[in-house]
Amino acid sequence: MEKKSLWKKITGSREASLVIVLVVLCIVVTIKSPAFMSVQNIMEILKNNAVIMIMSLGMLCVLLIGGIDISITSTLAFAGMTIGMMYKYSVIGSTFLGFVIATAMGAVCGFIIGLIIAYGKVMPIIATMGFMYIYRGLAYLVAQDQWAGADALGSFKDFALNNTLGFGVLNNVIVVAVVCYIIFFVILKWTKFGRSIYAVGSNAEAAEISGINVAAIKTAVYTIMGTLAGLSGALATSVYASAQPNMQTSKEMDVIAACVIGGVSMNGGRGSVAGALLGALVLSVIAKALPLVGINAIAQNTVKGVIIVVVIVLNVLTQRMMDKANLEKREM
Amino acid sequence: MAGKSGRTISATPEKALRKAVLSWEGMLLVLFVVVNIFCKCISPVYTFTNVLREMPKYLTEIFLLFPMAYILLMGEIDISVGSIVCLAATISCIAGNAGVPFIGVLAIGLLTGTVCGMINGLLTVKFRELPTMIITLGTQIVFRGIAEIVLGDGGSISLSNADGFRAIAGKIGPFPYMFFIVLLCAVIFTVIAEKRVFGRGLYAIGSNSRTAFYSGIRVNRMLFTAYTVMGLMAGVSALFLTSATYGANTTTGKGFEMDAIAMAVFGGISTAGGKGKLIGGIISAFIIVCLRVGLGQINMNPQVILIILGALLICAVLLPNIVQSINMRKASKAKA
Amino acid sequence: MSDYVLELKGITKIFPGVKALNNVQFQLKPGEVHALMGENGAGKSTFIKVITGVHKAESGEMYLFGKKVDFKGPRDAQQAGIAAVYQHPTSYPDLTVTENIFMNHEIKKNGIIQWKQMNEEAQGYLDQLDADFRCTMEMGALSVAQQQMVEIAKAISTHAKIVILDEPTAALTANESQKLYKIVDKLRESGVSIIFISHRFEDMYRLASRVTVFRDSQYIGTYDVNGITNSELIKHMVGREISDLFPKPDVKPGEEVIRIEGFSRTGYFKNVNLSVKAGEIVGLTGLVGAGRTEVMESVCGITKPDAGKVYLYGKEITIKNPSDAMNNGIILLPEDRQKTGLILSWGLGRNVTLPIVGKLSKNGFTDEKRERELSRDLLEDVDTKAGSIFVPASALSGGNQQKVVVAKALAQDNMKVIIMDEPTKGVDVGAKAEIYQIMGNLAKEGFAIIMISSEMPEILGMCDRVCVMCNGRITGELSRREATQELILELAMEKGPDKKKQEVVK
Repeated sequence: MEKKSLWKKITGSREASLVIVLVVLCIVVTIKSPAFMSVQNIMEILKNNAVIMIMSLGMLCVLLIGGIDISITSTLAFAGMTIGMMYKYSVIGSTFLGFVIATAMGAVCGFIIGLIIAYGKVMPIIATMGFMYIYRGLAYLVAQDQWAGADALGSFKDFALNNTLGFGVLNNVIVVAVVCYIIFFVILKWTKFGRSIYAVGSNAEAAEISGINVAAIKTAVYTIMGTLAGLSGALATSVYASAQPNMQTSKEMDVIAACVIGGVSMNGGRGSVAGALLGALVLSVIAKALPLVGINAIAQNTVKGVIIVVVIVLNVLTQRMMDKANLEKREM
Repeated sequence: MAGKSGRTISATPEKALRKAVLSWEGMLLVLFVVVNIFCKCISPVYTFTNVLREMPKYLTEIFLLFPMAYILLMGEIDISVGSIVCLAATISCIAGNAGVPFIGVLAIGLLTGTVCGMINGLLTVKFRELPTMIITLGTQIVFRGIAEIVLGDGGSISLSNADGFRAIAGKIGPFPYMFFIVLLCAVIFTVIAEKRVFGRGLYAIGSNSRTAFYSGIRVNRMLFTAYTVMGLMAGVSALFLTSATYGANTTTGKGFEMDAIAMAVFGGISTAGGKGKLIGGIISAFIIVCLRVGLGQINMNPQVILIILGALLICAVLLPNIVQSINMRKASKAKA
Repeated sequence: MSDYVLELKGITKIFPGVKALNNVQFQLKPGEVHALMGENGAGKSTFIKVITGVHKAESGEMYLFGKKVDFKGPRDAQQAGIAAVYQHPTSYPDLTVTENIFMNHEIKKNGIIQWKQMNEEAQGYLDQLDADFRCTMEMGALSVAQQQMVEIAKAISTHAKIVILDEPTAALTANESQKLYKIVDKLRESGVSIIFISHRFEDMYRLASRVTVFRDSQYIGTYDVNGITNSELIKHMVGREISDLFPKPDVKPGEEVIRIEGFSRTGYFKNVNLSVKAGEIVGLTGLVGAGRTEVMESVCGITKPDAGKVYLYGKEITIKNPSDAMNNGIILLPEDRQKTGLILSWGLGRNVTLPIVGKLSKNGFTDEKRERELSRDLLEDVDTKAGSIFVPASALSGGNQQKVVVAKALAQDNMKVIIMDEPTKGVDVGAKAEIYQIMGNLAKEGFAIIMISSEMPEILGMCDRVCVMCNGRITGELSRREATQELILELAMEKGPDKKKQEVVK
């Protein structure tokens, strides 16, 4: 009896099945190429995908309230490019200040989007599409046909190389990602604000009636998304040791894909921090693993796309099978 | 049998002219004139012939607008079209370089687009539980991914013999062929949406797809058709794009889907479905084309143009909402 | 100190274009169950929303325990001890029962939500109500009756002094209603005052001691339930007397029009057989969830049955989708007018002609003039209260919307079989009579009619024959002469679902 319920728990929960997929994936790749499982390699994967992982958290919140945000990489580029140019022209020198500025810029960018969606009642896809153009345009304007390379960034790029925040063990970038995940896990599970996000996505009208300020929650969520995008702008600049106006173009689709693979519903109300994390991890492991198992890097996108399609289709099929099994149980 | 209480119901439609002037489409038409005057003022070389000459590079996206408008009217979305354009352009370039006669190249390009569209349509119809946003997000990555594989390490291809493509980029007088084809498509797609039974179905599905289904409308068949046509038009767009660039690369058609959606939304077509008119989308497409040509002529930074377009898009959706909420507030105050 | 727990005076509420409440008053005594009745659109729901602070009245005063109050929002009303259970449970389907109960008054310690304590308390409330589900279940997985129980648990959890129930029995089966009555009794005994809105007279007689009637946004009067007759009450509600609610014509059934054989769909219904003759009205009844709607939707091609054949005039036909059914003259008037019957944002005319646009077209081009004229004629035939065919369907009342749905069916001139799913659900008394009239006329004209309904009076009043379903099977068929409320109930609960549930629990 207990075994059955455990099995049901695993197949019934998206997170558990993703863990299995991830483990199987890692085992297969490690058999083919033992180097994959090295600590160094895993740290490398985490560091290079921290930006996607962090933004997946914001996207999780956005999707939870039934919205979408395709402007995030434009916000990222705008923030990243701005501090890049600041370092280049020595307006600022301190690494910390760079992070503060980028994050604050992201917050403002997200806040504006939030206001337009929540109070201007503009459809999220349209509003964020407009700001995708605007913020990307601003990034180019800030750049003035230049870019900030490793020399220009000076000590800022060292942030992504050092382990100071991680007590000499974990890379700084990974530490930032881990901290973000812990904060969001606590907020979404154990605070009223977090539960209000779920409530708004599950039934906005009811939320309004039970006294939740829906417009304020929406604005807050897009502001959070912007803040994380701004933070990611600083991180990306540091990790890749360069700031360019076309940074991370169209990676917003990867972020959305990570959430979707992680079981976050695009209709709102459903999804978890663990799911977003696992979705992002599956995508990044696959990207790293393909060359190791002998698939040409050129095929990477195709594989990624096929996996997205297969995962969502499988999800529908299992749901249908479960529904059918439930119906057959009904006695008549 | 007549109404037993003798009550009569009016069936006389409102005066069409007044309605047309006050509509969103009417305002767009005014804006079109304003934009042209504005461009004329800022750029001395903004003449009819010059505009026509520079137009083709912006026109290719308009092919995508028509079927995108259909899909949006049904309350769905397709964000994979840019990738379909890329794949269709790539495959037709390869066919051309492999010595396939030009007519065959055209057929292959259109066929590639159509097949991609059918795949989207099939997935949409078979898995109605899934938002089309996710489905086409997946196929967006796959279609471009396949183009990347086909293009190989270089990531680009150039036509070794571009004669055929040069021919379709030809002109009649100052008018490029493409201009006429765009106009023809505009007429056909608008008439279908406004006057044909199929068009009524589009609006019905977008307004309430359950009711439409219960009322005997073949919802799945129409969705499949719309996505297939979307693919076909992406093929057309790809061929005309190739006739201007004589090649293709991994970034061909990137962002086209967003531009097409933006044109439609700017034209008053709601992404929620059921609302808006094709003619609005077409006018807004030409507003955007004229603006791009005009601002391009005075060498304005293309990124600034991007910002202007983004702001225009948001204002176009935001303004009516604000006006409406002010009116409602006024109305409730007046009553009280 | 006032005699009333809650008193409202001179409340007026205006929406753009309409006066939803016009100078109404209301008094609630401590520990009473007070029924609020009136036709749809009389202003009951708006009135409730004024009490709960969702809407703010333009003028008027409200006294709670003798003290004047002025709610700025739903939150204020909640804190003052007023809880409402709305018509459509305002729940969060993706969240657990516990969260639904504690929404917006979570138990927190230093800003951190205490899940364990909340779960324990929630389960306590559920046990108190004899609920048959756990507090950790997802709300969306519960039935409507169970969801309502959660809403009531929520009201208890806020220690509400006044509980408002807005049409709680509308979606419940007979025995679920009985259970609700007991819960309401319990609440009242614990000192809670209750306002109860319902269309069902039996609810009022069983529960309420006083009844207040609204009509056309105005206060009509408050009466003792024991001192008022049914017809007096209807007169107050409708503003006129209704002489004959069920105008059942005496039609001699003709030849068999439709016969369905062996209809089965896993989990929904099994081996359903049914035949209807010309001019005959056959009632299909049973508890909600017995599979009535599902069978008929399968017959009409909306869902695919696993097995089953349809014969029209003795000839087998195949139906794969709704348009096949329509082409064969089998027309369904769906239960949910707003979601599947009408396109609310569209004008009435286009709604009526939606299924026949293709037939009216010339070479695929729509013929708008013909559509306008036809739809106007049909809408006049069914006596729709609307100024023009361009009025959006959303602007009409439930009864008039139902008439538009009927006109939409009549537009299909090849109609032979007409299937009406809960044709009077959410329709007020006045419009109900008119719909029965139309139904009677259709029978006279020789159509075969199937009426799915949960309302006993209309089943007994309108049908030539009654088929009763239980758990996906037809458990009995009664002629008009044989049919009684008791017999139907017995058939509807054969192998009672409650009994089975108990077995499963054991």
